Amino acid sequence: MSLHTALVKIGEKKISSEKAKNFIFAEKNGAETIFVGRVRSNNSGKKVNAVTYDAHDKAVIKSFQSICINAKNTFDKNANIFLEHAKGYVPVGEISILIAVGSGHRDEAFKICRYILEEIKHQSPIWKKEHYAEGKEEWLPGHSLRPKEDIK
Amino acid sequence: MKIKLRLYGSSKILSDKDILNIQLPNNSNIESVRDILSKIISEKKLKDSLDNLPKTAAFFSEKDEIVNDNYKLKDKEFISIIPPIGGG
Repeated sequence: MSLHTALVKIGEKKISSEKAKNFIFAEKNGAETIFVGRVRSNNSGKKVNAVTYDAHDKAVIKSFQSICINAKNTFDKNANIFLEHAKGYVPVGEISILIAVGSGHRDEAFKICRYILEEIKHQSPIWKKEHYAEGKEEWLPGHSLRPKEDIK
Repeated sequence: MKIKLRLYGSSKILSDKDILNIQLPNNSNIESVRDILSKIISEKKLKDSLDNLPKTAAFFSEKDEIVNDNYKLKDKEFISIIPPIGGG
């Protein structure tokens, strides 16, 4: 199997870079890229304590599979891909997303990693709520899935 | 007729529960849901945080596929509201 995708309920499980490295390893591959996204401690001048990720689970997994298969078909059919995204309350410093790619060559490995990250932001129904040190919280704006021509 | 709207992301501000029950005239479509949402947002004084939601949200049918504004709703149907997304 060369593809693993999952939503990980933080608090019950952790996203593990070791698991990702083991999954993508193959002797045929000369390149591995690993992207780790973490919850950062500030945004737009506000001190952030944590982010809650909400997700439409079934649609997210469907989109992850579709994005990764497209990436393989476009860049390297033989690539090994590991993709996990957090769901639930994630404190500052913890991993929110991990994308690991094993490929024959570095160019394809970098491209697949970047492609998956950008497509997730435009296709996968995931939402972020930031929790601020001052006590307030706020859902962040995002990319509308409604066709542009229908938004008046 | 009544439909059940599963709430995600910022739309969860609309209710303490994950599902919002909405009463609609028979033969309503998604456009009717957008209109009702505008009214609820106005009544609950949530315009500051949700003013754009009725026009920017997409909607999923029970098959988890995006449906357009002409999609005819059935009594007791479950649909999901999909506010603008922002994972990663």
